[in-house]
Amino acid sequence: MYMYLPIALTSVNYLVVMGLGLGVGLLSGLFGVGGGFLMTPLLMMIGIPPTIAAATDANQIVAASASGTISHWRLGNVDFKMGFYLLIGGFAGGATGVQVIKILRATGGADFMIKMTYVIMLGLVGSFMFVESLNAMRKTKKVPTAAAPAAAAKVKKGGFFTALPLQIYFEKSGVTHSALVPLFLGTFVGVLAAIMGVGGGFLMVPVMIYMLRMPMHVVVGTSLFQILFTCIEVTYLQAYSNHTVDFMLALLLLVGSVFGAQIGTVLGRKLHGDQLKILLSLIVLAVTVKIILELVLEPSILLSYAGGH
Amino acid sequence: MKRMLMKFSRELTLAAVVLLGLGSLPVSAAQALTCSVTPDNIPITFTYHGAVLSITGQSASTDDLIVTITSEPADTALKFKEKVGGLVWMKKGTLEFKDAPRIYLLQSTAELSRILGAAERNQNLLGYEALRGRIRIEDSAGNQADGKWFDEYLKFKKQEKVYDIQEGAVVRQHGVEGNTYMVDVAWPYQAPPGVYTVDVLAARDGKIVDRASTHFEVKSVGMTAFLSKMAFDQAGLYGIMAVIIALVAGLAVGAIFKKGGGSH
Repeated sequence: MYMYLPIALTSVNYLVVMGLGLGVGLLSGLFGVGGGFLMTPLLMMIGIPPTIAAATDANQIVAASASGTISHWRLGNVDFKMGFYLLIGGFAGGATGVQVIKILRATGGADFMIKMTYVIMLGLVGSFMFVESLNAMRKTKKVPTAAAPAAAAKVKKGGFFTALPLQIYFEKSGVTHSALVPLFLGTFVGVLAAIMGVGGGFLMVPVMIYMLRMPMHVVVGTSLFQILFTCIEVTYLQAYSNHTVDFMLALLLLVGSVFGAQIGTVLGRKLHGDQLKILLSLIVLAVTVKIILELVLEPSILLSYAGGH
Repeated sequence: MKRMLMKFSRELTLAAVVLLGLGSLPVSAAQALTCSVTPDNIPITFTYHGAVLSITGQSASTDDLIVTITSEPADTALKFKEKVGGLVWMKKGTLEFKDAPRIYLLQSTAELSRILGAAERNQNLLGYEALRGRIRIEDSAGNQADGKWFDEYLKFKKQEKVYDIQEGAVVRQHGVEGNTYMVDVAWPYQAPPGVYTVDVLAARDGKIVDRASTHFEVKSVGMTAFLSKMAFDQAGLYGIMAVIIALVAGLAVGAIFKKGGGSH
């Protein structure tokens, strides 16, 4: 039942770890999020040191997002063109965010900034998605179903950004945007993700839905595609620079998460886009409440190892 | 007759010398304090989940015994949390705990405070109060930190199961092999690999009168040692391996699901 982890230097119940992988992998396949914002604290709860929890999580997300990407690609749900632009922006934003954190750490305000960014971003994203999808679900009930195909057939326009140069039509998503828009949004999410120390899936998904106006199912597949590359980069850098990737822990997690991602993809097909959005928003809001409680309530122990969120 | 008298006199003298000698020997010399630990080598494999150490030896029957398991003192840096702006708990900085053993396990035949006085306990680093006097706590500017942080440190280490005191856990036995003692100690898997020291101290009338010590080693072996070494010595290769295996696992399961579940 127990397995010793050579880098984390601790022993874990492997059934519990595989169960965690399965649960978070399921969310990954359902919503297109890496699940780092859930997995890292869960791993810390079972005794994994914070720096190793965060780095190893990225390693297992490589497996879950590869598994999820391939299933969504088979279903025609991955917009590679959009994913590519977001990826370039994400890499640039990640590098910028790391520099921002360095400056903040030097001035001593990093932890406060990270926690506040977390609470504000999660709270805003969760609340907005919850209200929006609730309204959409109410409207869907009122509108006759025959109107839906007509609305879907209409090519979506880029909203606020139509005046910008380098307009490109993204066939898979059925939207037209300036190439600068996904580049800028990718950078924006990359900066925030680096500051918060997460992959950024829970930020990227709402950005794709509400700012890029992509259909929900394409959002999930494309987000996983983008997360896959981000996590490959993070895994390698963490292993090379900080020696914090525990390969055995990642292996246990990914055994669960790759299956979870597949189950999530199948489940996702059975749910309506708005149902998916409202479920994701509830998870995001629950995590927000947990972080707020951690901030306000006195911890039982006031000391901890460095790292983590 | 004279020869017989001389022989009797010699035997009498010898018997007197033996009797006198036994009477004047200290009890501890009659039964020297010994100490051994089983196993003295703990291999860390993938199935490792801690171990049970059996510490045994011989001692004088009237002495109280204190058994400690410790590591070399080291400096440990930990983040500390404080309330910011009267509202939120945040990590505010780093505290350095200097000369603190990574592990501190103590077992005794009775309550420490009944066996030894405070001065003797402090001098021999026995009990948490003795550790409080030894461990120096400094903030990042090198200033001495508030004493409350030792209590927090103790809570932190006890939660990790690497600091523990069990008074009355050492059991005495009196048999044909003389006066022996034994104690079983649950060795925590949280303790890192390394060489650890077992000290046994015999106390009489509030003073330490004898001591014995031994060592044991906790060491990674086989694949755990290989992975641990690779992660540090060939970090680039380790990173590439971690990425490739994760990718292959993800893609393979994707392929399996395609074969097994064509309907989706």
